[in-house]
Parts: sequence; structure tokens; C-alpha cells
Amino acid sequence: MNKRFRMAAAGLMLALGLVSEMAQAAGVLTIGRREDSTTFDPIKSAQNADNWVFSNVFDVLIRVDNTGTKLLPGLAESWTISADGKVYTLKLRDAKFSDGTPVTAADAVFSLTRIRDHEGSLWRDSYTIMDTVVAKDPRTLVITLKTPSAAFLSQLALPNASVISQKAVAKQGEENFAEHPVGSGAFSVKEWLRGEKVRLVKNPYYWEAAKVSLDGVDWLTLPDDNTRMLKVQAGELDAALFVPFSRIASLKKDARLVVLLDRSTREDHLLINHTRGPLGKVEVRQALDFAIDKKAIIDTVTFGYGKAANSYIPEGALYYHADNLRRPYDPQKAKQLLAAAGVKNLTLNYIVNAGDEVDEQIAVLLQQQLSKVGITAKLQKVDPSQSWDMLVAGDYDISVMYWTNDILDPDQKTTFVLGHDSNNNYMTRYQNEQVKAKVAAARIETDGAKRKQMYIDLQKMAKADVHWVDLYYSPYRNVTRTNITGFHQNPLGRFTLEETVKK
Amino acid sequence: MHRYLFVLWRPVQLLPVLFGISVLVFAMMRAIPGDPARMLLGVRSTPEAIARIRAQFGLDEPLWLQYVYFVRNLMHGEMGKSIIYRVDTLKLVDARLPPTVLLVAGSVLLAVMIALPLATGAARHRGRVLDHLIRLVSTIGLGLPAFWLAIMVILLFSVSLGWFPVSGYGSDWLERLHHLFLPCLTVALALSAVLTRNLRASLLTELQSDYVTAARARGASENRIFWRHVMPNSLIPTINLLAVNIGWLIGGSVVIETVFAIPGLGQLLVKAIVSRDYMVVQGVVLVFALATVAVNLLADLLTVALDPRVKP
Repeated sequence: MNKRFRMAAAGLMLALGLVSEMAQAAGVLTIGRREDSTTFDPIKSAQNADNWVFSNVFDVLIRVDNTGTKLLPGLAESWTISADGKVYTLKLRDAKFSDGTPVTAADAVFSLTRIRDHEGSLWRDSYTIMDTVVAKDPRTLVITLKTPSAAFLSQLALPNASVISQKAVAKQGEENFAEHPVGSGAFSVKEWLRGEKVRLVKNPYYWEAAKVSLDGVDWLTLPDDNTRMLKVQAGELDAALFVPFSRIASLKKDARLVVLLDRSTREDHLLINHTRGPLGKVEVRQALDFAIDKKAIIDTVTFGYGKAANSYIPEGALYYHADNLRRPYDPQKAKQLLAAAGVKNLTLNYIVNAGDEVDEQIAVLLQQQLSKVGITAKLQKVDPSQSWDMLVAGDYDISVMYWTNDILDPDQKTTFVLGHDSNNNYMTRYQNEQVKAKVAAARIETDGAKRKQMYIDLQKMAKADVHWVDLYYSPYRNVTRTNITGFHQNPLGRFTLEETVKK
Repeated sequence: MHRYLFVLWRPVQLLPVLFGISVLVFAMMRAIPGDPARMLLGVRSTPEAIARIRAQFGLDEPLWLQYVYFVRNLMHGEMGKSIIYRVDTLKLVDARLPPTVLLVAGSVLLAVMIALPLATGAARHRGRVLDHLIRLVSTIGLGLPAFWLAIMVILLFSVSLGWFPVSGYGSDWLERLHHLFLPCLTVALALSAVLTRNLRASLLTELQSDYVTAARARGASENRIFWRHVMPNSLIPTINLLAVNIGWLIGGSVVIETVFAIPGLGQLLVKAIVSRDYMVVQGVVLVFALATVAVNLLADLLTVALDPRVKP
């Protein structure tokens, strides 16, 4: 018996070891990512992980280019805007859905009214600006806005506003559609094994199908950072997303791999609750900015791959003001400002996300830096979803958060951060009536040069007021095998899979 | 046959247990801070949108009523709609259950295959080099953290030797065996250490019993005494220890599932807890509870089969 067990164990090991990996189908790109998709109903998700796949399954009326700063024709090949800035007339191109049926203006009407009115839509508030959406003929879409908005075209480029097939939704039912969607993107969903992978195949009806080289794309869910990196090193993956900062240097040394650091719109910042005692004084907030050594944070947390931030608008994004004020690291100046404001022995309640390595690293660094100017930061570590509740409720003094843009126009983030709407200026409770008025004015300004100047002014005003402390910008960190070319992530997160080639 | 009849009325005993667990999970999820609607909507959420989503999922109803809905759904064979995935929890559980069951079953099988020969060897060579060696190895096995061991196993068998894939689940049975071998081995290494030590101790105790001396006096061979009498008796405490450990494995599988990217229930549960997806947490915990109870029932059955004296 003893011997038999040993034999069996050895036999099993041998048998399993000899079964080699099934050869990957030629032209199928395998990408490892941290999260699984949650749905393929574009209006029902607000997660980046979903949007990044939506972009290759669905097509939008208007696209964002690879630099993340220009709008390009998508399903709409051209458009005109009325003189009062309210009526948008879009001409649709001759495109087909992945089931071979034509994309019509009626489908666009269906998709846009759905994102505005559907009770399950997570994006209703962003689209209530549309008064009417009408199909004038099968190729002409007319959208009338309640008020002019310079950001509206950018909003049409949001993956959540993708055009989906009205017939397919009616035929399949919404729940089934959310697993077997019908869109007009470069690829279509072949199979979704929850928690494991999403398999896409090339959509032969895609209007730019001739451009697409890949036969398909497999998005694998690999939550563990180590495993994901090992898998691409072992050649079991063509690409892996979210390379940890600590691994960039070692992966760069691997001749079989290419580490891609693509510009993103991510900005990490220190939120300040303006309603908390001395934090209401601008001198105190300026003192915080002077007291924080951004370079030390960038070197420790991002291993030098981040860049010091000087504006709430991310570097390289539309209307980013490169010359915006940068307060140097100057603890002496910080002390002077605190003394001038009559603030002594300031103690701040700092909310930290427990279990988030980066957040905890920043917290320790900030605590040390602030202590040098006489500020005591009391770290309060809480679960991420609890910390969010506390920030919304205003139950904090300072906390580090980040933001990534999902449309190219600065209006969305500006409204959230400086527009004084219902979210208390992104939980900071920042108040400045001039800023508020300018945000509203910039939204409807149609003259490009004037509008740009307004956003430059806003960046200066926000910086002067220290609405929050800008910390750093960081890039997308992806890695591919050397035989993959044309794999790029645009600053809004879209992957250029229609241009990707696997040799 | 009546000795096995307890199998029939055990499920009846189970009902109050399941009721207790469901109330506990329901209450605990709602007692911890955090809002599923906010987690769903992301950073761009507005108070109006949050209120709308809460109403849509019935989260604005009184708690007792939400519990009633939960139980009513269970009666209809539903577990409640997941807030994040927008499908019934049962559908998610259905897809995620097989990988976890395979992982746990494979690990247990492998652990038994390792522990049985080791414990036998140690007990039959008590006090000699082999015994000390086996005890040393099993002590080390107990001390290694699973996530570290997993990475080491991947580095050795996948990256250096290339025998097994780094991670994944495979698409047919052969591939699945191939993919699940390393994760099962990782779990089995720790589990077999516990089993080996326990079984060795039981074997030694049994070997010193009077019935062994009596059998020897009657001239029975050592092998016959060991395999026919000593081993079955020694297995009983080990089986019960194993049952307890399986319960722990089902819940603790998340570490291994994450490292090896196995699309199992553990991963689903953790994601659901983080995003406060109440219905999914409730559903998965209920399944875990059911599985644990089922495993214990199985252990009781085995005990009855192995030892004619036991009357449950």
C-alpha cells in the first residue's frame, strides 16, 4: 500500500508535467489584468476595468485620439453645432453591428435616451443636459441641449455612451445582453467566464476591420501582482497591466519584455477639509503645501516614475497650464506662514486606507514631513469604503485620494473639484464664489482661446487658494512581450487593440 | 442499516443553524460602515444618484423587511440580485463553486496521499532517523505561510522548470488537472503536515493497545495487524481533524485562489465584501456554511463505517 501510494503520486506528477500548455491560437492577444469585468451593459458600470473593455467591443459616436487631447469621428463621420450651441446634428457613417445589422440613428437615440433615463443607469446626471434626441433619418441624429455645453462632444466619447443595438436588447432582454452584448467595435464578446476571462473575437463587420490584425483578445483576471508579472515573464501572457512601481526596473532588464509607461490622467492629491478650524485659513493650507516634499514621496512611492503635480488638470491634458505655481519644499517658510496665521501645535486627523500599501507609505512620509513644521498628523487607518463615507461626511482633516479623467474635456473634473456642486467640491468644502462663477462660465464658452484662458485662470486661482495639495502624476504601467507592437493605452485608458500586432 | 439513518434527520437539525448564520451575516454586513451604492457609482457619485440606487435595490427599506425579502428570495430559489454584477447571486455562485470544490477536493486528496505514507513510515520506524526526518519536515510544513509557499512553488515548477502553468483554471478536464496541481500542492503541503503529525500519534497509541498484543499472541502478521486493525482505528480522529480543516479550507481558499488566479468563491467573497455587495456576501457565506456542514456529515458517515461500535 505504502509503495503503491508513492508510485501513484509519482505517476500523476509525471503525467501532468508532460502535458504541455495548449499552444496559443495565432493572433490572439492575451492580456492579464487585476479585475474582472462586472457587466457589458455600458450604462451600468462606473469602473475603469469595464470601460477599458467596452472601448474595444462598442463604438462611440465621437472618439478620442491616442494622445487623449483631440476628438475624432467615430460612428459619426461629421457633425455641426448650431450658432446658439444647443443643437448638435450628427451624420452617421455606414457601419454595422457585430451581428451584421446596420447601425442606425435610431440605435443612437435608443442608447443616448437610455443612459439619460434608464433607472439602472449610473450616468443619468451627466446626460440630463440633453433635452431631445431625435433620428431625423436613418443616418442623421439631432441632439438638442437644454443649455449650451462646450464639453458635450467629449461626453459623447465616453464608453458608457456607446451605441448599442436596440434590436438586440429587445430580443435578448437586458440581463442576457449584459453578458452577450451586440456592439459595433473592433471585437465582440465570444465568451465571458466570470472571474476568469473575457474572450473577444475580431468583429468582421467592424467598419475599420481591414485595420485590425488580431484574431481575438483574451482578457484574463489575475488579481495577484506577482502572478501577473511571472506569467508574462514565463511567456504565458502577451501583456500584463498594472506593473507595480517596484517591479519596473527589474522587468526592464528582461530582454524578452517591453515595459510601457504611457501617460495617464491620474493625479494623486492631498484633500484638505476647509471647514476644520485653522484649515479654513489660506496661509495654513499654503504652509501644508510648502511642508510637503513631493520629490521624496515620488522617489519612495513611485520609485521615481511619477512627476510632481502643479495643477488639478493632469500634465498633457487639454488646457493643462505647465507654468502653474509650484511651491518648493520649504519647511522654514511653512513655519513662518503658520506663525503668521497664529497657529500653534496643529493636530490633524489623517484618514488612511488600511491595507493600501501606497496610501500607507505616503501617510508615514507625510507624517514625518509635517512633524518638521510642528504639525502632528494622527493617522486613522480605516477600510476603504468606510474612509469614503467619512470623507463625504466631512469627518476628517486631511486624506490622500486620486482621480483619473474619463473624458478629455476638463469640465467634468473642474465641476467636481471646483464647481461647488452637491459633492462639496470633492469632499474638501472649498468655497470661492469667483471660482464657482468661472467654472460655470467656462462650461458654456465656445471660443476655444477664451475658454483655454479661463481654465488657466482657474488653475491659478485653485493653486493660490490651495483647494487641495497637488502631489504627483503617474503613468500607466504595462508590460508586453517583445513580439507585440502597437499596444498603447491612451491617457483616458483606452487600449489601441485595433492597431496591435502579434508577430 | 439503521445505523446510517441519522443522515436523514441531520438536514432537519441543520435548519436552525442556517437560520442563525443567515441572520448573523445579514446583520454583520449592515453593521459595518460603507455604502454599496457609493461603491457602485464610484468617485463621481452624487447624493441623488446614491439615493436612486439605494431605492432600486431596496436598501432604503427597513432592515427587518430586507431580511424578509432575502428569505423569501431563498424560498424561490434566488439569493438576491448582486449590486455590482446586476445578476442573481445564485448565478455567480453557480459559476464560481466548481473551481473552489475542485481546489479543496484536490488538495485534500493530495494531502492524504502525502500524509498516509509519511505517518505510516514514521510510526513503524519510531525513534529512528526516518521518524525524526518526517517529524522535522512536517513541522516546517506547518510554519510556511501559504502565499509565500505559492510563489516559491510557481518559481520552481513554472518559471524554472516549466512543468506547470503559472496560474489559471484551464478549459477542459485534462487542462484543469494540469492547472490545479500546483495550487493543490501548495495547500496539501501545509495540510499534510497537520495530518501526518496527528495520524502518527494515533498510530503509535493504537500500536500499544491490548488488542495488538493479543493479535500478535495469536500469531497474526505485523502487516495484517497494522492494515486491518491499527490503521482503521487510527484514522477516525484524523478524519474528524480533516473535516474541521476542510471547513477552514473552504473559507480560507481565497489566498490560493488569488495567487493562482482560480475563479473561485473565495475571490468572489472578498470582492463582494470590499464593495459591500450584501446579497453576494450573504449567498456565498450560506454556501460555505452548507458545505462545511456537508463535510462534517460525510466525516460522521465514514466514522460509522470504520468503527462498528460507534452509534451516532
